[in-house]
Amino acid sequence: MWMTVRCARAWSAVLVGLCFTITACAEEEPAASPVTADVLGTELNEPPPDFDPFQAASPRVSRLSQRQYMNTIHDIFGEDIVVPTNLEPDMEQHGLFSVGSTVSSVSPLGVERYSDAAASIVSQLLESEEKRATLISCEPSGRSDVACLSEVLEKWGGRAWRRPLTGEEVDTLTALATAAAEKLDSFDEGVRYGLLAVLQSPFFIYRIEVGEEVEGVRRYSDFEMASRLSYGLWNTGPDAELLAAAEAGELTQDSGLEAQVDRLLASDRARAGVRNFFAEWLELYHLDHLNKDPNTFLHFSAELGKAAREETLSLMERLVIDEDRDIREMFHAREAWVDRRLASIYNVPAAVDDGFGMIELPEDGPRAGFLGQVSFLALQAHAVSSSPTTRGIFVRERLLCQTIPTPPANLNTAIPEPSDDAVTMRERLMVHMEDPSCAGCHGFIDPVGFGLEHFDGIGRYRILDNGGLIDTTGELDGKPFDGARELAHVLSESELFTQCVVEKLYTHLNGHAPEDGEKGLLWDLRQEFIESGRRVRGLMRAIVLSPGFRQVSEVSP
Amino acid sequence: MKITRRTLLKGLLGGSVVTLGLPPLELFMNSNGTAYANTTADGFPKRFGLFFWGNGVSLERWNPQGTGSGSDWQLSEQLAPFEAYKQWMTVVSGTRTPVPNHEPHHSTVAGVLTGHPLVMADGGHTFAMPSIDQVIAAEIGGDNLFPSLEFGAKGQDGMSHNGPHSINPSEQSPFALFERVFGAGFYLPGEEAQVDPTLGLRRSVLDAVMDDIARVNLQLGAADRIRMEQHLEGIRTLEKRLAKLEEDPPDLEACGYPPTPDAEYPDIEGRPQLQEKNQAFSDIIAMALACDQTRVFSNWFTKPLTNILFQDVSMGHHRLTHDEPSPQPQVNKIVIQCMEAFATMLGALAAVEEGDGTLLDHCLIMGTSDVSNGKNHSEEDFPILLFGGAGGAIKTDYHYRSISSENTSKVLLTVCNAMGLNRNEFGGEEGYTNSALSEIEV
Repeated sequence: MWMTVRCARAWSAVLVGLCFTITACAEEEPAASPVTADVLGTELNEPPPDFDPFQAASPRVSRLSQRQYMNTIHDIFGEDIVVPTNLEPDMEQHGLFSVGSTVSSVSPLGVERYSDAAASIVSQLLESEEKRATLISCEPSGRSDVACLSEVLEKWGGRAWRRPLTGEEVDTLTALATAAAEKLDSFDEGVRYGLLAVLQSPFFIYRIEVGEEVEGVRRYSDFEMASRLSYGLWNTGPDAELLAAAEAGELTQDSGLEAQVDRLLASDRARAGVRNFFAEWLELYHLDHLNKDPNTFLHFSAELGKAAREETLSLMERLVIDEDRDIREMFHAREAWVDRRLASIYNVPAAVDDGFGMIELPEDGPRAGFLGQVSFLALQAHAVSSSPTTRGIFVRERLLCQTIPTPPANLNTAIPEPSDDAVTMRERLMVHMEDPSCAGCHGFIDPVGFGLEHFDGIGRYRILDNGGLIDTTGELDGKPFDGARELAHVLSESELFTQCVVEKLYTHLNGHAPEDGEKGLLWDLRQEFIESGRRVRGLMRAIVLSPGFRQVSEVSP
Repeated sequence: MKITRRTLLKGLLGGSVVTLGLPPLELFMNSNGTAYANTTADGFPKRFGLFFWGNGVSLERWNPQGTGSGSDWQLSEQLAPFEAYKQWMTVVSGTRTPVPNHEPHHSTVAGVLTGHPLVMADGGHTFAMPSIDQVIAAEIGGDNLFPSLEFGAKGQDGMSHNGPHSINPSEQSPFALFERVFGAGFYLPGEEAQVDPTLGLRRSVLDAVMDDIARVNLQLGAADRIRMEQHLEGIRTLEKRLAKLEEDPPDLEACGYPPTPDAEYPDIEGRPQLQEKNQAFSDIIAMALACDQTRVFSNWFTKPLTNILFQDVSMGHHRLTHDEPSPQPQVNKIVIQCMEAFATMLGALAAVEEGDGTLLDHCLIMGTSDVSNGKNHSEEDFPILLFGGAGGAIKTDYHYRSISSENTSKVLLTVCNAMGLNRNEFGGEEGYTNSALSEIEV
């Protein structure tokens, strides 16, 4: 019996959103069982806990992520516009860029890069004859044709700012453009400087959504809803139809909103939104920086991280968009979308010589679903080896929405070197855990990761570690398992996982972690999610139609 | 041959003797004429730089033998790369950052760079206050084209903070930094100087953006207004730069173009080209200082918790600090590689002649990390190095060892004093101090 749980309070289930925080693992209190109970009630027939009445969160300004900026520019001006990739870095909060974008500030360098990006985009528009013709729809009568300048800026300004410009805004931009046209003796230069102001404006770079009060309820306005929906579901700005619906006042009405949400979710562009959510949640953007020692891992190449992300996102896209399946199948799916690189790691023949193709993993093999994918196994590992600890933390924090405290300072964190008694990483970590100050937390972390030890630091299957036979038995909150496939079943059965999906998606779409006044709503969303077969597409729909997405509190002073 | 502006001018003008503009004292005075405290005795501006590496040191191989000055102290194994720079060097050992060490690496890096505890925010953490480079830039950087420059071979986003959730991302491409500082708009005195006719229009664009921000601000809550204010600060900096570009550049003897760096420095066998990138960055920053394009910089060589593969070691850095048995020979190799990079940067500064001395004489360069001993995330006996002495404000060729575990904020206050900032306290809460390390002050 390798794990004696020493801390009851360790699992003092502190409600954070819908999730638990594991506090102070190293507490020395006598062991009751580690808390696995879901304070919201894991039994579906239980009455709901007593929650505060619904209270919408305060509004927050969100900055377009690098991808959203690029997607928006591509939508407005064409896919062939080259958008600089060095824009202000996105920051994670609650493990999500969508939350980080509501708290981080833009540095002076970031402002400079927005300025450079705008200059580059506008130059591309004016230098291409075809693009220029689309951009400038009127025929300028002279270098400073005010009416034509005004028409151009009002039109494109409205697209970029995702709302109609006020008369005063049009006048300001036109005055700037006219001055430029006259000074540089060119109508196009007028357009250039007008658009530079449009693209550097906070109305483009940020989503300014503050709400309005109608009949005693504060809600997001129609145009604010248009942005919220399109960035949430499509990861880009609203299209003309969505803006028209906003103009017609439909997005603040139930039926109009439902019609647009259904259109958005049915559109191919919802793929981008789904991909973005899973990439944020599962840390897949971090794969851009995947690095492995090529001497240890001959399968490593600079493109591996991107290929691995593509595999996982393809699976999620299929589960959510194409087949509308239970999200828990992400742990069991045996179809794998692989290129030759990934196929060789999985030791299966690639379906196609070039690019990606679908293969089916063996039914009785060690590998299936997300827990068997390189995107997870290689990223949650070290440059030269696997890491049961890193993988265990990922499962706890990302998949179960738990928080694990960081190790206290001045702790000896060294893992003992291999010895005759401790050959494998598991055995060495077990020695490590003889120290109670380590065991307090690692007892909850490592046993989860031990189950994945048949996969090395890049995701190749193995049965030996350092010459010793690998033992893949493990335990998660009292549920024993052996190996990745059984761990997948334990996770599937976990109510924590189900509510983690709800919490993460809600947090992602709203840009903030659920507050007290939103917990009752989350409980309802979770019940609905479970009852409708845990389908993420339905959950997305339910969230954006809920008051949590449509209503807003007063701006905090 | 080092290409300075002088040699370039000689080339341009057929070797005839050129008398150059103003004496340095006037040149380096700011618009109020009050910059003397920020100026060295021989009339050059004081510059501040930070060199940061991740994951700390091995204390038993780090701390020098002996204390005091000159031959009373000797470099340790991990400080050996500084042999050629010992005359500029001040080692401060034995201090600790007293802020609560709740988040290993993050708490202590906040402590040593800001003097304040880390802010534990909802769903993450951040610095409460600006990092030391920005404290200094706010006071001495404003009249330069770039109030500060941030870069680093593998520092990712860096740790230079303007305040909470406001990081100045560090440039990771030497070529991009070169283009930013020495690209379009930069010219040497004597070069064909054509002021861009569009600068005024570009400023009008920024004015319009500032008006938009002001209108947005009327609708926002306090937290978002602060973020907008930060954005506005960036716009103002840019606007000021455009105005500066319309003026003649400062006429400086030592100014010249640095070598053009490679467009890219791809990893080789999974290992980043740290030394090569750092050399390129060092050459650029030396000339950026010599040309007075900036007076403050930070070089984020690597970042806290970095797990990159260094040369000649078998595992990622962070992992080695925890897993390698004592005495950690591989960690030792890595620390030495970091110090070699630091020495490379010092070499680039020392190679620039300024007046009767070198650029390094007119600098204060502070080097530190996010923990003292990476193995146990210790906040005790923090590794802190100073170089250049800020034009004689700080004792050099000196090892000061604190026997009472003094607060690292004392070093920051000392640094502020040396840079001519008028302060009598630094840091907050557990990190607060109102006394400098007088023993290393001149």
